[in-house]
Amino acid sequence: MTDSTRDQLQDGSYEFLAIFLEGLPFIFLGTLVSGFLGTYLPRNAFEKVLPKNPILAIMASGLLGAVFPVCECAVVPVIRRLVKNGFPVSCALAYMLAAPIFNPVTAISTFKAFNDSYFVVGARLGMGYLIAVLVGIAILRVAHGRFLKPSAQAESGHEHDHPRNLNSAMNNSLRDFMDVGLYFTIGVILTSLLKTTWIDPTTDFWKGLTDNSILATPAMMGLAFFLSLCSTSDAFIAANIGNFSYAPKLAFMVFGPMMDAKLLFLYSTVFRWKFIIILLAALFVLTGGLSILAETVYENYWESAQP
Amino acid sequence: MMSALHTRLFGLLALCWGSALIYFYHSQRIQEYLARDFHTLVLAGGIGIIILGLYSLINPQEKKSCCDHEHKHDHHDHPHDHNHHHNDEGHSHDHDHGEEEHPGDCDHEHEGHGPVATYLLTLVPLILAMTHTQDKLSNRGMAKKGLYEAPALNGLNAPAAFTREDLKKRVPKNEEGEFQLQLFAAYWAAGDREVQSIYEGLPVELEGRVAPEKIGNEADDRMRIFRKIMSCCAADAQFVGVSMEFPDDAKRPAVDEWVKASGILTFETSDNKILPLLKVRIVIPTEEPYSEFLLRQ
Repeated sequence: MTDSTRDQLQDGSYEFLAIFLEGLPFIFLGTLVSGFLGTYLPRNAFEKVLPKNPILAIMASGLLGAVFPVCECAVVPVIRRLVKNGFPVSCALAYMLAAPIFNPVTAISTFKAFNDSYFVVGARLGMGYLIAVLVGIAILRVAHGRFLKPSAQAESGHEHDHPRNLNSAMNNSLRDFMDVGLYFTIGVILTSLLKTTWIDPTTDFWKGLTDNSILATPAMMGLAFFLSLCSTSDAFIAANIGNFSYAPKLAFMVFGPMMDAKLLFLYSTVFRWKFIIILLAALFVLTGGLSILAETVYENYWESAQP
Repeated sequence: MMSALHTRLFGLLALCWGSALIYFYHSQRIQEYLARDFHTLVLAGGIGIIILGLYSLINPQEKKSCCDHEHKHDHHDHPHDHNHHHNDEGHSHDHDHGEEEHPGDCDHEHEGHGPVATYLLTLVPLILAMTHTQDKLSNRGMAKKGLYEAPALNGLNAPAAFTREDLKKRVPKNEEGEFQLQLFAAYWAAGDREVQSIYEGLPVELEGRVAPEKIGNEADDRMRIFRKIMSCCAADAQFVGVSMEFPDDAKRPAVDEWVKASGILTFETSDNKILPLLKVRIVIPTEEPYSEFLLRQ
């Protein structure tokens, strides 16, 4: 075995364990919640809570992360179970995409990482919320069968007499934990492999992009995809990853929590692969465009308005 | 349908995952992987997963199909009419329900993988990683995380104004009168002209681990002192380092050794980048701190 291979094996194992140890408790928490929700939450309970207007309901769901802050790993099993229990898919998608960004923990970490910059925090949370709501609205009229996996679709038709007891809740939790844990592990393997073999943010390629927001923005989204960082810590990486301007850094912090290599596999527990690919492309374009727009707003309006 | 045997096998797997978390916590190896805030979460998660696993082992509930028709198969056993194939949506099953079909009606859970696939794809990588890790990155891995990089220039993340008076108030001195500066403060000063002017020529003592130097070391008189910074887990860790230049007669520390390095802090320009440089007076070995990681906040 060459030194380089030995180093890659050592680094890959280290990266794998770091993400696995950090993520597994959150996956467990998410699946525990999902198991109990699946057992005890009455079907269609959300109809009474959510606004009747579907667009208002999506907008309200996008804000749920501020009240129920969950990371991107834990939110997937939760929405999977919510959808089965009749939570509107468009609302679930808006919550799933917005929650990792539009929550107080992410807001504080971004604020601190960017040395108390209100603009960066506002732009990040605003973009995350806006994109999540837009995606939710976009799928409003699409038949669920076209993007939801059959097993994730809401139960309808004949009524089921599901037992509502601890046994059932624990059993549901275990099944969800195994399903999601499996895809999570595959995602972590892929991430650690890519990080130790292919991705190197210190190369001349990345350094050469610092003066070009148009090229650096998609490149940074690609980097966020492969690094698969937690939304509560990625701001510290973004702040120090080179002398990039606002657009690439915002794109990194907004795209990553919505779509990365590990999430790709987690999403496959809920959505069809074809939809996931379309979602990836849509998030890529929306995040990139809005990041460049935010940078333009900053340069032309925000900076000059500061005392 | 999840059989009692499958439930027990999955329960056992959950027990393994939970035990791995508890092991890392108990052996304190967790310190090398996660920031301190997450240690309790790992313990709590490990205990919770073990409880879930034990519960399922002791009390396996056979998941009955909610429909009247029978599903007598598992993923390796297809006694009735199934088309079992792989497509672009992964592993899927088609069922010939005939007139009994209720599309989307039941909680079929057919997409779940069997215990064999789940064990292979989760437990094997975990065991392999645990046997191959050295609880740290190689020098190559650290280099990819910024060990030999210059700090980002002051701009988007500009720190608050800092004066020489602030320095005197906030930073303690050692017996020799040298400022016991945090290593990352010396590092980031290279990205801020204002702070740089305050630190230039300052007698300082820096604490960190030692790595070989790869920049500006043509005369082979340099090594690098560095620390890790981590917000959540080692995957987001960054390495910040300061080059140490030794006088000819100075004793060199060993690579990976923890040291306190005293000398004069200065800054040099290399390839249009400003880099911090410690002109070493003396380097003494020191104990590894409780946690090698420095938290940003």
